[in-house]
Amino acid sequence: MIRVENLVKHFGRTRAVDGISFEVQPGEVVGFLGPNGAGKTTTLRVLTCYHPASRGLAEVAGHDVRRASVPVRRSVGYLPENVPIYPDLRVEEYLQYRAALKGVPKRERRAAVEHAMERCDITDVRRKLVGHVSRGYRQRVGLADALVARPPILILDEPTAGLDPNQRRRIKALVRDLAADHTVLFSSHILPEVQDVSSRILVIHRGTIRADGTPQELLELSRGRRLVVTAALLGADLCAALRGMAGVGEPQIVAEEGKYRTAEVPVDAHADPRDEAFTRLAAAGAALRELRLELPTLEDCFQQLTEGADEAQAATSGDGEEAA
Amino acid sequence: MNVILTTLRKELASYFYNPVAYVIAVLFYLFRGVDVQALTESMARYGSDLDLYTTYYVFRPSSNFMIVLVPPILTMRVFAEEKRTGSLEVLMTAPVRDVEVVLGKWLAAVAFFAILWLPTLPLLWGLSTGPFLDAPLSFGPAAAAYLGLTLLGAFLLAAGCFTSSLTDNLLLAALSAMLFNTAVMAGPGLAQTFIADQNVPAWAETLLEQINVADHLTNWFARGLVDTSQIVFYLAGTAFFLFMTVKSLESRRWR
Repeated sequence: MIRVENLVKHFGRTRAVDGISFEVQPGEVVGFLGPNGAGKTTTLRVLTCYHPASRGLAEVAGHDVRRASVPVRRSVGYLPENVPIYPDLRVEEYLQYRAALKGVPKRERRAAVEHAMERCDITDVRRKLVGHVSRGYRQRVGLADALVARPPILILDEPTAGLDPNQRRRIKALVRDLAADHTVLFSSHILPEVQDVSSRILVIHRGTIRADGTPQELLELSRGRRLVVTAALLGADLCAALRGMAGVGEPQIVAEEGKYRTAEVPVDAHADPRDEAFTRLAAAGAALRELRLELPTLEDCFQQLTEGADEAQAATSGDGEEAA
Repeated sequence: MNVILTTLRKELASYFYNPVAYVIAVLFYLFRGVDVQALTESMARYGSDLDLYTTYYVFRPSSNFMIVLVPPILTMRVFAEEKRTGSLEVLMTAPVRDVEVVLGKWLAAVAFFAILWLPTLPLLWGLSTGPFLDAPLSFGPAAAAYLGLTLLGAFLLAAGCFTSSLTDNLLLAALSAMLFNTAVMAGPGLAQTFIADQNVPAWAETLLEQINVADHLTNWFARGLVDTSQIVFYLAGTAFFLFMTVKSLESRRWR
């Protein structure tokens, strides 16, 4: 449904997007995750034909965004970041106007607006001026606008930004609900949000894609998997017992309680040394209290992919790249 | 077509939602009342030829307020406000063509401008009857004058749309359009007085005559003289500014 290849967008000298490629298949819900200023909004604006790309290809619903901008826009419902809408119209009037603008035939317009309002649960504010409804409602009016012409693809830019936790939960539930009959690409800088809703995550940082996969795959990719062992052994013996298993690093004693020591061993992605560790400790005759494989959280993963990557880069290049 | 009509309807409605429009209307009708009163009285007092009444009726001093100051106020928000609030993004990511949006917004401004003038028509008819003038007036010159007014209005409103598309500052959009309107209305006449006794090439004089909008209105349209070259001048000017507005909207794609 969406195909992006080597997309580059610069504003003057700033490279907002630096050669990203990804695809979104029909029916997928893809979370576009990245810190503020990573290039999320710019990418979404290229896909919705608001900005053209400087270089590269972007296709939406089989149409090139540059050559067939109107068919692209017809197949996309877009919710921009701040939902700027005309404050002097009533909610219902606004949606009627948008439906007409998007070419919904006159006979179907009323039904389309009703349907979108019901779906987004805003029928109770239909007669209110858009400028007078709360932020949560405004966000939902924006979503109803994105839905009203029944496009197959929804592109949502930070749909939950600036909402309180209850409103955020409702928007998330709504997005999940919409996923049943739409292909959804939405951006966020808040991790749990993306994790809850999306079937796939794209991590973007400084204009490049840092990771692309299901939440599970991202977890496996990231560093931070470790084996935690607590046993009644002297520190050196415990380390010796755990050293040299397949796919593990150097053990370290992290805690001591009475005769028990706790060691942590870094474990590579895909490796699972639990069985072997148990066999070895049993052979050493140690009383084993705890043996578990600790997985990194998505939070760790996100941190590694963004800040961690910067630190690594700064360390290798010898100086910070902020100056660049 | 659908987009043009939808935009036209929405924009026209938003003129009526906006209190500024009513303030303009009140000011204009007040001014105009005083103007028409003065005209009627003086024509009665000096026993002037009432055939000329309609010639003087449309372009009064108050008309300058409507020609120079009002169009920029009507058009200042059309794009500048959408840019300021960011709603331009919502608008332009809908399946619409830039030219359709520009035409819709401009037509709405022209329609509202015409609506503001509308009440001056029945007033003219009312004056011709009853206790006021009680004379048959010649409506031909008035019709021509309203045609000229509409053409000029369309031209200046197109220029206003253009200045509005250049900035997200409403005041700047309005003031620069006012500056333009002043130059259009007063510039050629002033230039003509300056060069009156000078030795300037004939083509320059012809050019100034051709673009002297104030002269077109009072000495041609208001006397019932409709010159095709003048009509072409306004239409071409309108088309030029609408084209520039579309290009200015498109320019966000070049950056």
